Amino acid sequence: MKVRGIILWLAVGLPLLWGVFKTLQNAMKLF
Amino acid sequence: MASSFLDRENTIAPPGYNRFLVPPAALAVHLSIGQAYAFSTFNLPLTKVLGITHSVPGDWNLKEIGWIFSIAIAILGLAAAVFGRWVERAGPRKSMFVSALCFSSGFIVSAIGIHYHLLWLLYLGYGVLGGCGLGIGYISPVSTLIKWFPDRPGMATGMAIMGFGGGALIAAPLSVILMNHFKTASSNGVLETFVTMGVIYFMFTMIGVYSVRVPAEGWKPEGWTPPLKPPPLVTQAQVAVDVAWRTPQFWLLWVVLCMNVTAGIGVLSQASPMIQEIFTGRVTPEMAAGFVGLLSLFNMVGRFFWASTSDYIGRRNTYFVFFALGIVLYSTVPSIGYAGSIPLFVAAFVIILSMYGGGFATIPAYLRDVFGTLHVGAVHGRLLTAWSVAGVLGPVLINYIRQYQIDRGVPKAQAYSVTMYIMCALLLVGFICNFCMRAVNEKHHYRAAGKSA
Repeated sequence: MKVRGIILWLAVGLPLLWGVFKTLQNAMKLF
Repeated sequence: MASSFLDRENTIAPPGYNRFLVPPAALAVHLSIGQAYAFSTFNLPLTKVLGITHSVPGDWNLKEIGWIFSIAIAILGLAAAVFGRWVERAGPRKSMFVSALCFSSGFIVSAIGIHYHLLWLLYLGYGVLGGCGLGIGYISPVSTLIKWFPDRPGMATGMAIMGFGGGALIAAPLSVILMNHFKTASSNGVLETFVTMGVIYFMFTMIGVYSVRVPAEGWKPEGWTPPLKPPPLVTQAQVAVDVAWRTPQFWLLWVVLCMNVTAGIGVLSQASPMIQEIFTGRVTPEMAAGFVGLLSLFNMVGRFFWASTSDYIGRRNTYFVFFALGIVLYSTVPSIGYAGSIPLFVAAFVIILSMYGGGFATIPAYLRDVFGTLHVGAVHGRLLTAWSVAGVLGPVLINYIRQYQIDRGVPKAQAYSVTMYIMCALLLVGFICNFCMRAVNEKHHYRAAGKSA
């Protein structure tokens, strides 16, 4: 159950983190 | 066999199931359908389908393409309202699967439309089919999460609905990467990107389809007991959806959501030109794109932050904060513009957008407090028609009032001031409606025999 939980959270968390990183990269242009 | 796997009965969690495995399932769906917020990345490429590098006669124009997103959002609200009861009955797995089918086939039908250069196929594909996928997918995990987290319903739904905001953060750069990858001398890559995204989002949503579970009847978190004396406005009774939508509470909350969304969505739709016009010569298009990115980020973060906060301070108080703080911020924006302070301007709008997202994420828990858990997904679906209305009202207010001001000779930098004060008035209406919220009359409560008294 623990491993399944980690895999699930990584599967949705990694794309989200990538999106946040890309957005922050873009947002830096404002300053 | 496939249908039995999708049935609600086959999604009931075994004893000892870890409830924290359910939010990723909800996130998988919302991160996919949240792509809708990034649809504008396709706007310009869709105007160059024939000309490839530039628009040629016969290519679609921006005004025609703008309708694709508008139709999708309008259908989102309608689908959530119409299919809400079915989603409750069918369970989260089947509804997530249907959402994935609709949303992905919307991309594929649109790709066929691009291939044959038939705009109505894009309206039908992404607009209608995709819109159905958006509406069904949006409400599919809500009641499941509320049942898994009776102790923290705001946090649970906030986590899922945060995914809808986060979906745009993924889709915007992903669309650009895919279009660049597929670009050739004979194609600008948008057709191939649509097909690829249809496949990617179908597979990604399957994570949710396979992993979602509903709690067994009567399940409660270990060691948790419902409070003996629930806070004001929090009911332990149930109200059926067909009764709920006839109560004044439903329509008060409808206006509350509509006003909160109208105030935010107008800004979101015009953020880039707005900051460039208010700070003429000081903000480049690249900086404005950064501003839009920042707004999207706070739209996402606000969903989790405010919905979780509402578990502690109450839903009604959370909306009081949205409306009161919103009025203060909107009314000071014109002065900040005159003063020429970009950091203050950005700070004001990121807070406003966090409350816009927070409004979406807090409403399911508010509905659960007022109407109980019985049909909360279906009630939520009907309430989302407020989003459809706000989706038209917000951008129209900002655009038309700005244009009216400019036509009357007001400098562009000052053309938004009146709009900001109108937003304050809308937020005041929301504040009053929230103030008028009372518990639902007992005569509307659901009885075991299946009827409201």
